[in-house]
Amino acid sequence: MEGEETARAAMPRPSRLTSLQEQMIWALLESGLSRDVLVQALGELEQDRTSASAEKGERGDGESSEEGEMDFPPPIFRDLEKLSPEEAAKLRVEVDQLLQEDPWHVAKIVKSYMQQHNLPQREVVESTGLNQSHLSQHLNKGTPMKNQKRASLYSWYVKKQGEISQQFTNAKHGIASLDEQEEVKKGRRNRFKWGPASLQILFHAYERQKNPSKEEREGLVEECNRAECIQRGVSPSQLAGLGSNLVTEVRVYNWFANRRKEEAFRHKLALDTPFTNQSASSSNLNLSSPDHGSTLTRFRQAGVKYSQQILCDTMSSARGSGGERVGRLVVSPVQLEPSHTLLETHNHKPVSSSGPLPPVSTLTSLHSLSSSSASSQSLIMASLPSVMSLGESSLLIGLASTQPQAVPIINNVGGGFTTLQPISFQQQLQASSQLPISHLQSHMCASPFMATMTQLPCHMYSKSDSPQYHTSSLLSQTMVITDGSSLGNLTSLSTVRPILTEDPEEQTDPNLQEESLHLQPHTPVPAASSQSLELYPASQTTDSHQSHLLSPSPTDISSYIPTQMVSTAQ
Amino acid sequence: MAGKIQSLTEEERTHLLPLLRNAQWVEVVGRDAIYKEFVFKDFNQAFGFMSRVALQAEKMDHHPEWFNVYNKVQITLSTHDCGGLSQRDITMATFIDQASMM
Repeated sequence: MEGEETARAAMPRPSRLTSLQEQMIWALLESGLSRDVLVQALGELEQDRTSASAEKGERGDGESSEEGEMDFPPPIFRDLEKLSPEEAAKLRVEVDQLLQEDPWHVAKIVKSYMQQHNLPQREVVESTGLNQSHLSQHLNKGTPMKNQKRASLYSWYVKKQGEISQQFTNAKHGIASLDEQEEVKKGRRNRFKWGPASLQILFHAYERQKNPSKEEREGLVEECNRAECIQRGVSPSQLAGLGSNLVTEVRVYNWFANRRKEEAFRHKLALDTPFTNQSASSSNLNLSSPDHGSTLTRFRQAGVKYSQQILCDTMSSARGSGGERVGRLVVSPVQLEPSHTLLETHNHKPVSSSGPLPPVSTLTSLHSLSSSSASSQSLIMASLPSVMSLGESSLLIGLASTQPQAVPIINNVGGGFTTLQPISFQQQLQASSQLPISHLQSHMCASPFMATMTQLPCHMYSKSDSPQYHTSSLLSQTMVITDGSSLGNLTSLSTVRPILTEDPEEQTDPNLQEESLHLQPHTPVPAASSQSLELYPASQTTDSHQSHLLSPSPTDISSYIPTQMVSTAQ
Repeated sequence: MAGKIQSLTEEERTHLLPLLRNAQWVEVVGRDAIYKEFVFKDFNQAFGFMSRVALQAEKMDHHPEWFNVYNKVQITLSTHDCGGLSQRDITMATFIDQASMM
């Protein structure tokens, strides 16, 4: 900052300040800086600037000693300056206390706090200047960290606690000053992340209905936010404290859309890969027919191969032949099928390939499976698509009571707590080749899925479109043209379009204003987007922005509208 | 952004704008914004004042539109997010008045 520079230059000769320098210093002091903080900041900045080259040499020596030199005062110290002096002092006291304690113990505390509030490590890294890998290792495994670095970590932690409690208390007033600071730094809020509590709720709902209506989504939003608040130990009414992890209707909509897309894609993959395991199943088929006619008919919809697969599974696992029971059994053997093939053919090869936890989407994990193992695996995929999602939900739902039956390749959208279980179950599978008993056990949670199973094939075909995100239209619209993904924008664009087609040549400000203003009462847009309409002319009225909006509008909007409009049509 | 900034309600306007008008803030024609001109003794004073306002603007994350020539500072306040006046503008205006008194 210029002010700091001139003030710093003034430091050696305190009596000879120019009046501008005086004004600057006065301004700084007025902004909340205390004399001490200012002096300290000056010292740090001076050190930093004068010893820039020397630091590189020092770094090598510094590493060996306990108290290494900080290369650069991490950004967090700059933040401290912004606080009032008493608060800064309080923070330092707390940080010192933490530094005294056992580092591993404090690391656990910090880690659990981050998990509780769904804070990304990236945020810590940015504001403390720590190395992300080092930070991760320190928090998760207790890798030692030098005191200075731990100090900056703890400073961030204490400060974050303060910020978050402020967020929660200011929720009603809608004050989000610290959030905005962060936003200014990052340019955008932290990326939203689903908490485990919300995911549970969502998976439950997904099993019930894949395509919730707006009201249902709103209900889910409430439920999820309540759960997230409870998880953080805060009253459910203080939503703004969730900050970037606040669940909104848009996010819920997107989540459902993504799950549906995943399913459709899995099914598509399954259909694509050729089936070759039919010789093995054909002998089993002979035993099946009379008892499993009902099941057969159900699954015939999904394709002959699919049902063959199921029968194969049913036969290999089921001992009893009650229709209902078979129905249930169909589910789990299908899920467990990979274990059969594993044991029969590839021993542990597919197992190892599915060992490393797949990333978010099942799709990628399926891909890796199909490429790495033989086509016998493809049958798994055939049967899995419809079951996969059920498997996921069974993973999450059946967690407490039953063993998750899902194949390890089932995606771990649920997060950490799903990952452990498949692996342990896998070991069980390897141990026992005959699994009727465990099947029965697991059916308890499998049974509700049967109803949905039948619907699935139809679902997959009818709802395979790419979902376009509806927004609740509360997106701010500074530049209508640049933000093209919201329905609010679309409708405003669509209303603008008539203007453009009517008066393609006229780009004069008043005309456009009038036209768009006229449109407001006439166009039957939903209330949400009329809000956006109001914004549009309002933003037009600013003289400086008008030329911005007008000149690109005729050309760009017309190209935007067709693409956007098409994709929203479902 | 968390929490969309609301434009001032009619009630708030009738309540607050007269106070600002008394302090020589003028409503801009054709736009929902307020404007005021400050004259200082010299450039240093003007720039010192601007520095104070600037630091406060950073704190509030609410920046004015302004123009400076030597000892004159012209400031226009409006909130881009809501396309008009908001509570932030009022807060900023009062702070600016305070800062200019020194």
